[in-house]
Amino acid sequence: MRLMTDWSFLKDAVHKAIRKLEEKVLTHAEAFFTYAKTTEVTIRNSEVLTQNRVDDSGVGFRVAVAGNKVGFACTNMMNQEAILEAGEKALSIAKVSSEIPHFMLPQGSSMPKVRGLFDPAVAAIEVEEAVDKASRAIAAAEGFDKRVIVKDGRFLYESEWRGIMNTSGVDFEERGTKVLAYLGGSGKQNGEVTSSCYDLILERTKDLEPEKLGENVGKKIVDMLDPKSLKSFQGSVIFGPEAVSYQLFDVLTAALKGDAVIAGSSAWANKLGQTIASENLTVVDDALLEGGFASRSFDGEGCPSHKTTLVTKGKLVGFLHDATSANALKARNSGNASRFPGGFDMIHSIVGQGYRTRPEIYPSNLKIQPGDKTRDELVSEVEEGVLVESMAGFPQAGSGVISAQLSQAFFIQNGEIQNPVRSGMISGVAFEWFKKISKVGNDTKRFLHAIVPSLLVEDVKIIGA
Amino acid sequence: MHLANAFNVALTDMSGELTFQLKNLEDCLQSEMVNQADLVQLRGQRKRLVACTVKNGVINDFSSISLSGGSARVLVDGKSWGFSSTNMLDTKNIEKMLKHAIKLAKASLKLKHEEIALEPVPIVKRDESTPTRKPLRDFPMEEIAEIPLEAYRGAKKVGANVADVKATFMGIEDDKLFLSSEGSRIHQSSTRVLLFADVLAKRNARLCPASENLGHTGGMELFDKTSPFSLGKTVAEKAVRLLDAKAPPAGKFHVVVDPTLCATMLHEAIGHPLEADLAMSGGGFGNQIGQPVSSELITIYDSGHTSNGLGYFPFDDEGVECKRTNLIEKGVLTSFMHDRTSAALANVSPTGNAHAWDYSVEPLIRQTNIGIEAGDHSLEEMIEVVKEGLLLEGTFGGQADVNADFTFGFQNAKRIQKGKLAEEFRGANVAGNAIEVFKTIDAVGKEVILRPGACGKYQFALQGRIVPAIRCEMMVGGAGGR
Repeated sequence: MRLMTDWSFLKDAVHKAIRKLEEKVLTHAEAFFTYAKTTEVTIRNSEVLTQNRVDDSGVGFRVAVAGNKVGFACTNMMNQEAILEAGEKALSIAKVSSEIPHFMLPQGSSMPKVRGLFDPAVAAIEVEEAVDKASRAIAAAEGFDKRVIVKDGRFLYESEWRGIMNTSGVDFEERGTKVLAYLGGSGKQNGEVTSSCYDLILERTKDLEPEKLGENVGKKIVDMLDPKSLKSFQGSVIFGPEAVSYQLFDVLTAALKGDAVIAGSSAWANKLGQTIASENLTVVDDALLEGGFASRSFDGEGCPSHKTTLVTKGKLVGFLHDATSANALKARNSGNASRFPGGFDMIHSIVGQGYRTRPEIYPSNLKIQPGDKTRDELVSEVEEGVLVESMAGFPQAGSGVISAQLSQAFFIQNGEIQNPVRSGMISGVAFEWFKKISKVGNDTKRFLHAIVPSLLVEDVKIIGA
Repeated sequence: MHLANAFNVALTDMSGELTFQLKNLEDCLQSEMVNQADLVQLRGQRKRLVACTVKNGVINDFSSISLSGGSARVLVDGKSWGFSSTNMLDTKNIEKMLKHAIKLAKASLKLKHEEIALEPVPIVKRDESTPTRKPLRDFPMEEIAEIPLEAYRGAKKVGANVADVKATFMGIEDDKLFLSSEGSRIHQSSTRVLLFADVLAKRNARLCPASENLGHTGGMELFDKTSPFSLGKTVAEKAVRLLDAKAPPAGKFHVVVDPTLCATMLHEAIGHPLEADLAMSGGGFGNQIGQPVSSELITIYDSGHTSNGLGYFPFDDEGVECKRTNLIEKGVLTSFMHDRTSAALANVSPTGNAHAWDYSVEPLIRQTNIGIEAGDHSLEEMIEVVKEGLLLEGTFGGQADVNADFTFGFQNAKRIQKGKLAEEFRGANVAGNAIEVFKTIDAVGKEVILRPGACGKYQFALQGRIVPAIRCEMMVGGAGGR
């Protein structure tokens, strides 16, 4: 058995499998393949816990036969025989599958050049450096205040080749690096433990400041000490970037996905061209952003990347598409076929992502256009309300219903922050909140798939403990 | 062949790939490099999955996933762990994997002050496979596709208000090898099958979701009790029924929690704080062994040996047997869930809770099948003494913090008025502090059911929950004004 130990061998074997599939009776065949090395340091309970190194590579085949019947099969067994077998398996599954209306794959075309996605220094990272950065972040957080306890964290350095090839002439490859530094902790005072606070750095290059990460977490935790209970009221809410990047992002994404529009499950399915939000909301998906964490030259099925305006000043002007949904709705393919979609999905959890799954529509870098207000100015606008930095609880993404626990929030009165909130919930329909965005902050922050500022929303229901 | 002898038992159903892995892993354990570590744990895995998702009658994802890989985990100088994994288990890459693990372990040595004095564990040579009455491999792909299609048909039969139906079947065949420098050699073979059904009902602008899952460790006999068709139908009936329901009232209530919601609550809000790594981080139940921490009606345990539980494992990924561990006995905290490291640090014996989702990741402290012992109340008896409260049913999952604060969603609720069930409400969230909530439990149901569960603590896991209904006090959050 011949084992392939680098990218060019994998690419060669995939080429052969696609050529072999071309001889069969089928309409489309596609292979997505990756070769990745990851070095990770994990932090638990104020200490560097362990160091991990993960090498993984594999290929996933999508094959369609007449009648748009599609099958998928993948393998991470790196020998020609196993790779050919996976291609054959995808074909045999396609034959017993059912029709996916309007199924389409991108045609071969040229690829834009997106800068700042690869740093050779990340690919060559030594574990000792990662350990050093992790321990400096812990020291900075706990040195910020003695009540701060670091609970978990990770410093992850990933270097990956990704390639896509299909029978319609697509043949792209790209190399990228990612650095993710995460630190979380809580504070203890008078026997009371604060809820967890965390901060995150997402970069494409090696240089990051662990001290800054640690200090940010330390500050967040100290701000949460001495919380007070909250009364129930209807008031203004400033959603900080973290809260926007999670629950509000999920609701936005569910409404903007082209396949949800076709299925009719998007709340905005029939609203193209209409006003669906406050004029303060402008949303863009930008896979071309230089150095963006989710930037890429081509999407998970080989469509060249784009920058797509989705909502402009409250008006819905576009949706997120892959080749199939664009074909069905006669829209431009926005290049949002993702092999690494975020959010929770049971199949992805069980199977994994990347080469292990067929692509799904998901944002690349979803940007909410920042406003001109600093955080302090936003707070000063609020007569009575809550600043929600982070909240816990899954939104019902389709209906937009959110009822979430306030995990990191502050009570505001007369334009000033009064105290952190001990417990309480926030409840409402995010689609209504989007209509009531009165101000947008200039405090943009980067997350895995979101680049978002604070949003000030009027008239939100807050439930006290 | 020293390989076959290593197990002292005949290896059943070993595929060519697994035999290849075993030989190379065994050779690696005989190499000089092993002497640089106090302990070397090698794992190998061959995993085959089939997934079929039907959305609105169309098979939109039909996948076959074939994975193979292994890992090395080493303890160096009694203080520091290192871990490395690869999908290429030829001799050269396995050697590289062990080399990496040792280098990684050494990288943090100077930061480690605490000695990890592992308690020796029994040397195990075992070949275990889960009994399955209807093996997955006997089902051709066409028949597998019929499972989610049937769930779809069942849902669609409920009527025109069924707007969106998603049904997913998953079958997992898993072979795991464990070899340690202490001498253990374990082969575990298992099959798991699952079916998820999600329905969105729609009338005009009103939307209402409902979902339910089936899953066990075992074969396709899972569907002998509940057919895919009836699962889809039940879920769709609920979603449509709830279209007319209002949001529940918000505030603190005396609630009866059905076993399904109880399962989420037990796992998220009580189970996690009982995991030694989370407990040691200062929140939840830390440092209260021997203390009353819950209602005295409550006995909680974790057992990898619960047959058919999704968390069924004879041994964990450190080769420790997954026997039943009592965690809380009649309200008194008796034990945490441990891996070998946390057990060593707490000076107790490991409990078989070190589990890795797959070969590529390190074992972590995880629940297997967590359970609450049955009480003596029927559901009617639990309801009849409630003057003003809610019966909460179904789960949409949730989140819990290490300080035991939790939020999770229920699917529907019924008002309880003077001991009788009144109108039905749609779902919303409950929130609170689990330790406080569990102190308020004043009745436990006499019927327990085995539920499928999943968890995403740093990595994924499939787990079981063995749960009754409970009655307690909890904060309910109304969801919106629609």
